Amino acid sequence: MLKNTTVIQRPDRVTLFASCMVDQLAPNVGENTVEVLEYLGVSVDFLNDQTCCGQPAFNSGFRSEAHPVAERFIDLFEKVKGPIVVPSGSCAAMVRNYYGDLFRNDKELAGRAKRVGDRLFELTEFLSHFFGTDAIAGKSDGYATYHKCCHLLREIGVDEQPIEMLVNIEGLEFSPLERADVCCGFGGAFSVKMPDISSAILDEKLDFIEANGSSTVVAADTGCVYQMQGGLRRRGSDVQVVHIAQVLAESIRNRSTSEPKR
Amino acid sequence: MKPLTVNFRSKAALTLADAQIQQSIEHVYTGFFKGRLTAAGETPDWENLRTKGKAIKDHTIAHLDYYLGLLTDNVEKNGGSVFFADDAEEARQHILDLAHKLKIKTVIKSKSMVSEEMGLAEAMTDEGFETVETDLGEYIIQLANETPYHLIAPAVHKSRADVARLLDDDYKDGDRVPDATELTMMAREKLRGVFERADMSVTGVNFAVAESGSIALVTNEGNGRMSTTVPRVHVAVMGMEKIVPSIQDLSTMLRILIRSATGQRISTYVTMVNGKRKPDEEEGPEEFHLVIMNNGRQKLLEDPQLRESLNCIRCGACLNACPVYRKVGGHAYGWVYPGPIGAIVTPVLTGLKDADNLPSASSLCGACHDACPVKINIPRMLLELRYRTAEGSTDKVERTSSAKERGIWKAWRMGMMGRKRFDIGSRIASIALKPLSRNGWLKKAPPPLSGWTSTRDFPVIAASSLKSRLKKRSGDLK
Amino acid sequence: MADRAKFIAGVTAGLGRTEVLSPTSITETAGFEDAATAKANAVKASIDALERSKDLADQMAEEAAKAGWKVHRASNSEDAVNYVARICIEKKAKSVLRSNHDAIDQIGVEAAITNAGATLETTEHHGENSQAQIEKSKSKAFSADIGITGVDYAIAETGTVVLHPRSGLSRLVSLAPPTHIAVLRPGEVLDSLDELFAMERNDFMSGELAGSMNLISGPSKTADIEGTTVTGIHGPLEVHLVILADE
Repeated sequence: MLKNTTVIQRPDRVTLFASCMVDQLAPNVGENTVEVLEYLGVSVDFLNDQTCCGQPAFNSGFRSEAHPVAERFIDLFEKVKGPIVVPSGSCAAMVRNYYGDLFRNDKELAGRAKRVGDRLFELTEFLSHFFGTDAIAGKSDGYATYHKCCHLLREIGVDEQPIEMLVNIEGLEFSPLERADVCCGFGGAFSVKMPDISSAILDEKLDFIEANGSSTVVAADTGCVYQMQGGLRRRGSDVQVVHIAQVLAESIRNRSTSEPKR
Repeated sequence: MKPLTVNFRSKAALTLADAQIQQSIEHVYTGFFKGRLTAAGETPDWENLRTKGKAIKDHTIAHLDYYLGLLTDNVEKNGGSVFFADDAEEARQHILDLAHKLKIKTVIKSKSMVSEEMGLAEAMTDEGFETVETDLGEYIIQLANETPYHLIAPAVHKSRADVARLLDDDYKDGDRVPDATELTMMAREKLRGVFERADMSVTGVNFAVAESGSIALVTNEGNGRMSTTVPRVHVAVMGMEKIVPSIQDLSTMLRILIRSATGQRISTYVTMVNGKRKPDEEEGPEEFHLVIMNNGRQKLLEDPQLRESLNCIRCGACLNACPVYRKVGGHAYGWVYPGPIGAIVTPVLTGLKDADNLPSASSLCGACHDACPVKINIPRMLLELRYRTAEGSTDKVERTSSAKERGIWKAWRMGMMGRKRFDIGSRIASIALKPLSRNGWLKKAPPPLSGWTSTRDFPVIAASSLKSRLKKRSGDLK
Repeated sequence: MADRAKFIAGVTAGLGRTEVLSPTSITETAGFEDAATAKANAVKASIDALERSKDLADQMAEEAAKAGWKVHRASNSEDAVNYVARICIEKKAKSVLRSNHDAIDQIGVEAAITNAGATLETTEHHGENSQAQIEKSKSKAFSADIGITGVDYAIAETGTVVLHPRSGLSRLVSLAPPTHIAVLRPGEVLDSLDELFAMERNDFMSGELAGSMNLISGPSKTADIEGTTVTGIHGPLEVHLVILADE
């Protein structure tokens, strides 16, 4: 969890950082994120020029390519005030935990990056920290389980809070996933560079998902969602893997009244 | 040991397809990984111990030159000899020369990864010494003519039937497979005589205590104790980084090592020897030799970004936590040290070119960092090595990325440097992939995504980006 | 061939320095605690062991059992001796090797062991340590059925017995025979590894560090075959802890 955040008060306005994957592959996650935040009384700004935080190139070792993209991210987002929210643990980790390494030869830029990072939150981190895990408490049905995405868990430090949010949804039957904290095998480019190993790790995850019996698997990072959904589809399984923003947004829509919380 | 890391992908593929090994490796999770979690949970000040352990190692490495001097002075004061080996060949040759000089016939070995770096057992056998591995797991793989599969459990990949074929002279395929106890007793019998007649032992060192010139060995079987007791010559081999400053430090280090390795609160035996036997002792070695080896650790030491890897106390916890290791097994890594720590030290100690696959063989899940008793930040160093191989940031490291890959990331960067081209890129991809897709998913994607679709469906690029949807949704969004 | 100076100079250079730097910081490692501190720590550990000897003995019994020792709490010396004799008979022991720990003298095992049909031998050479004597000692240990020792310390945290091999206490007596019996007296149990190493460090700082030390926490074991734990691979298959009562 963000220990040195410069955001003290519960904010009523945030800027959304979609992440390149959500922007291009899963824009519904972005829309759902906006819906959830607005329900809680938070206005959401969107910087139209945003693209990517640079993580894909950085993780593959191409720091000279990642650097300008990351610098562009800082240029863009330092111009807005207030908290930045991203529905991705791995992107939040990139900005908060790895920009320092990427910019290690440029102290000034590293300082600017830190100031942005100090007010950047992953979505479930933001929700649980400022609003509590019972703030939404919407309605749903069906059987769901939760996979703990690695960067959200180990780099950002969000563990059980999303589960608490799910448990607080009326009508949703939650059952914990065995080995929930073991990687799904995505790892970004790893999933394509070493697909056999990535898939072997995925197979174990999917075996536990199928043994769990839930019809829905919830996760907080789009890459992991697609790794698992893509594998389940290939197995001919009906199990749906959805981003937590979608589950929360749906639970809001399902309530008999849909007045904003505040 | 000759590195075969160049074969990582093919060896990994073989292991992935081997159902029996996949079943055997499960024990690494259910036994060792779970064991560590339980032991850590039962230790009230576990996190403080980890912090303390890291502080001891950081301090030791930062003053490694001082502590090497102190250790040497004290080993010599206790009547022992210290040999400094720049590389594995020098170390191995010294031990061979020593064995010849002292007219050794039978050599017993206790588990030592450093001795694997030297290929010592084979070399000694080739030179005519009866050389026997005495750790049961090492003994099994010696019989199998293989290399260790795991730092703590070298034969973890072997089934009982495999072991029976190696240990049981009467066993034939199709017979009832002897149980673990029967096989273990066979090994005990076979090795008993060897212990009695051994005249030289080679052990590793879990911790070398600088202030007193002591070495500490952590074992469960008793072969470590045999090795420091029976033969007239005891040779201990160590990587130069395996030092702790003080006897009192052992209290912290033993606690975190043993719980992290196997989940035990303490190993069955912890042996501390302070040189050769004292004049009035009943038994014990007449001569004690300590071989301190560099063998490329210099490169880790010199590199502020990689120096932390020298804090490793070789517990194997990172292996047990690693989803990649648990699928590809120990042999795929092609050298002495598998798993996450192996992915760092192998490329550097053996020369990055052949081993550049290893830092990429990771999903960066961070489980290794969580598991490490001395909090080594392995993911950060894997990323650092990826940087070196992709773009070659120092004069010692060769860039091994292909022009094609560099081109891909250049194109990626250009596509990310402006929203317009970002959107255009998406449109193009969306249009290109649409005919290949059904219901928003692709079963077969073109390269570089073909690897993905060999085993998973791939989602198509959305028809409209988030930006356009948010614009539509609410006209006043900035 | 690397000589010491060259090797260490290489390490110095690798650390980005031109000279060896003596560490001055005092917090990270106990290596800076002086002799007085070491003594104070050891004294504290000893006092603790005496003051809490009953609780520590109880904890030791519990932890030792968990670690695989067969624990027997003797109500008195006779009871302890009978237990030892029973083991000799059960194991059909012909030869029992003993250390010269006072604890064994205190309970007086000789007669009982002889009555059980075994010979009791000592491991002491009485000053003669020729190679021939050492070979004799070795073969005695490898052919003995039972090894019986006292303890130099025990550790309650882990169910551990600590031995400092020396004249009268061979390294093999607790290792080679298939059965080891350790006789523990009240007041010999330390709380944890911290206290043990405090004692050891104090010994070291006073110039009295033992030649070697063995921590024993149960029977010899391995899990190298299919992860199944089996006892008695190279060391004893069975270890007995006889805890004497306060007399």
